[in-house]
Amino acid sequence: MRLNSIGKKIIRVDGLSKVKGKALYPQDIYMEGMLYGKTLRSSRPHAYINIDTSRAEKIDGVVKVFTYKDVPGKNCHGVLFKDHEVFCSERVRRVGDPIAFVVATNKKAVEEAIEVIDVNYEDIEAVFDPLEAMKEESVKIHGNSNIIYHYKLRKGDVEEAFKRCHVIVESEYKTPMVEHAFLQPEAGIAYTEDDGTIVVCASTQYPHFDQIEVAEALEVNKDKVKIINPAVGGAFGGREDITLQIHLAIAAKVTGRPVKAVYSREESFLAHSKRHSMIMRYKTGCNKDGKLLAMEAEIIGDTGAYASWAINVLRKAGVHATGPYEIPNVKVDSYAVYTNNPFAGAMRGFGATQVPIAHEQQMDMLSEKLNMDPVTFRLKNIFKKGSKTATGQVLEESVPIDRCIKEVADRIGITPLSERGGVV
Amino acid sequence: MKKIKLTVNKKEYMLEIKEDTRLIDLLRDVLGFTGVKEGCGEGECGACTVIMDGDIVNSCLVLAFQADGKEIITIEGVESEEEIHPIQQAFLDVGAVQCGFCTPGMILSAKALLDKNPSPTREEIRAAISGNLCRCTGYNKIVDAIERAALYLKRGK
Amino acid sequence: MGIREVYKGRNIDEVLELLDKYRNDCRIIAGGTDLVVHLRHKRLNPKVLVDISDIEELHGIKKEGEFIEIKGATTFTEIVKSNLVNKQLIGLKEAAKSVGSPQIRNRGTIGGNICNGSPAADIVPPLLALDSTVLLKSKNKEREISLEELFLDKGKVNLKENELLYSVKFKKINKNQVLSFSKLGLRKALAISRLCISVFLELDKSKECKRVKIADGALGKHGVRERKVEEFLLGKRLNEETIEEGAIILQEEISHRLQGRLSLPFKKEAVKGVFKSAISKALENLH
Repeated sequence: MRLNSIGKKIIRVDGLSKVKGKALYPQDIYMEGMLYGKTLRSSRPHAYINIDTSRAEKIDGVVKVFTYKDVPGKNCHGVLFKDHEVFCSERVRRVGDPIAFVVATNKKAVEEAIEVIDVNYEDIEAVFDPLEAMKEESVKIHGNSNIIYHYKLRKGDVEEAFKRCHVIVESEYKTPMVEHAFLQPEAGIAYTEDDGTIVVCASTQYPHFDQIEVAEALEVNKDKVKIINPAVGGAFGGREDITLQIHLAIAAKVTGRPVKAVYSREESFLAHSKRHSMIMRYKTGCNKDGKLLAMEAEIIGDTGAYASWAINVLRKAGVHATGPYEIPNVKVDSYAVYTNNPFAGAMRGFGATQVPIAHEQQMDMLSEKLNMDPVTFRLKNIFKKGSKTATGQVLEESVPIDRCIKEVADRIGITPLSERGGVV
Repeated sequence: MKKIKLTVNKKEYMLEIKEDTRLIDLLRDVLGFTGVKEGCGEGECGACTVIMDGDIVNSCLVLAFQADGKEIITIEGVESEEEIHPIQQAFLDVGAVQCGFCTPGMILSAKALLDKNPSPTREEIRAAISGNLCRCTGYNKIVDAIERAALYLKRGK
Repeated sequence: MGIREVYKGRNIDEVLELLDKYRNDCRIIAGGTDLVVHLRHKRLNPKVLVDISDIEELHGIKKEGEFIEIKGATTFTEIVKSNLVNKQLIGLKEAAKSVGSPQIRNRGTIGGNICNGSPAADIVPPLLALDSTVLLKSKNKEREISLEELFLDKGKVNLKENELLYSVKFKKINKNQVLSFSKLGLRKALAISRLCISVFLELDKSKECKRVKIADGALGKHGVRERKVEEFLLGKRLNEETIEEGAIILQEEISHRLQGRLSLPFKKEAVKGVFKSAISKALENLH
């Protein structure tokens, strides 16, 4: 078989336009007669709101101030649950929730108008600690419970297996939320074509989802919405949820003119998701030869005010909770929990990134307690070809973890005791 | 309004600007040099880097009236009519470009370095691009590309 | 931004005239690396801006008798490149080199770093350790005060509304003297000092401290001279024991000064390492 690309050095198709500075990101698109838009965002984490836009509407140059009343169709969106509002109608659930969108003929008018929109906040008790949020008596962010997902993984009998363990370590780990900080802040421009089709040009990871969500908010057929995805300045998961697409589409439809918005870095931080912060409680045990026998983990992921991909992320955290190790008895419970924190969603690794902090620390502590070097300890327990994971998946293809660990150990100058003829 | 005169990519402009216009806004919104990118507006990311009188500056931190009488080079002024600049070629060949948003600023920082120091060490390259953030590459390929560019430039001579 | 007038200053008299005319409505802009950010966040609202970045007379480092004079609009890059900022003055060079990024150093100025009154201004501790003075000029007057006297509070300097920081002066440094600098930032580039320390040192023939001046940044409302530590070290030999004791005195000083601050436990621990590093850099460069 002749391969044209694989194994060959290929220069990326958009490389030339990027080194020349000609690649068009949405902020680089200027249209004749375009208007400028800017979002007013909540400054409170949890509050009932009342909005008065009358002063803003009177500012010279302001064309319209959009709020929830101006959403023609469904005032909601979300990748799994439709728990985001396009514009908050009664209540804000986090700092940064969109409340209004000012559209004006120039940037200055937009800035001025944003400052004179009156939002009356009536604060509600807020919850920022996911452990508190899980309690029955906690204030609820949406619906009747803040626990939106509970993933259970059961294999063997951990209780019985722990009794047989020579060494057991137990610890709690916390990882923080993380911002993607892709270099190109969100930007977009929307306009209508002659046949009424709404075109939204924005850097996004899901043009096909965006099309559906824009269509539903506009209450038009999907084929009346076109999403154009120009150059994307990094995403890392942070562009999987809607940010400005629907705002722009509504504004373009109502005003009949092109509308452009460019987020500042600060607004970018407020607008998109974060990596889930997690609390991970681990108990791991092995026999005196260093063979892992049992692991029990409870993982709580803070998804903030909105679900986004929380279910998938916490499922993935649960599935990967053992790390690349064969453990015959496993019990994992992972939870996704609403709070009033910034919402969490997709970010590189998607739940698989947090758990190694915990399972690898457990491995180090076990080997220390056993007085065994950590490389040897790991090599004893890692997945190999034919291994069965805790979820029952048989690894039939290439599983070169041993090579990887040995290579790393070698490069950082650690020789496993077992290979030095030392006591294991 | 304030009258200023400046040279951008070898072309002279006489302009009337608003007093509070930043150099980046002038270059992008008025003159159409959209290769100048805004990533943070605070001089942290370096995406807005341009060369002003031979030195790199953050165009988001220079007010346009301050650039009166200056000579500016943006990414659009790096290539010649016939071909792209050896630094641009090296970025392509090495695969130092991913999302591309930092690329114009990186190339200009590299150019300012190589114009003064044709054979930099890797440490010197890292120092020269320390004001430019990249979120995709992890920088190694960018350093490789600038090393490669130094070779291309020498060969070309 | 409600800026109504902007002037690109061509000479010093013109600038002083404008300052005298517009007073509090007016701000000086040089590198703009802080000012433009403040304007963007509306933390400052001047009506008039006067740019001094291209005034020849306000740039440069030169010898003036037994002094070295650095003009107010001299950039960090110019300081790093200057031949006068030699091996003995390594601390001044390193401080200038540690500011921001190449882009920021190409624009940011010594005068701006001082007049912003930021507690974390990197260039301030070395200048304090050099016992620098500042020359302040206004339309019909000029006055020279010690740099230390210039700082009033966090972000507040003793500069009249019509005054311009014209230059900074300090005594030339002898072959048997050295100035060092050590900084703790959260990353290599673009790091705002968590804390920084500069040490001026001269040893006598028996290796005892003949002159020692210590100043730090980000450990108070502005750059501070650490006189108690200086007094302790004066006349002593610098060895593990005395350096450790000096570090403990410094810890006590900052514990007192930063009482109630959340950063205190961290800074109290970190200051020891930075202090020791500054002292050992001084000793290394003395020989």
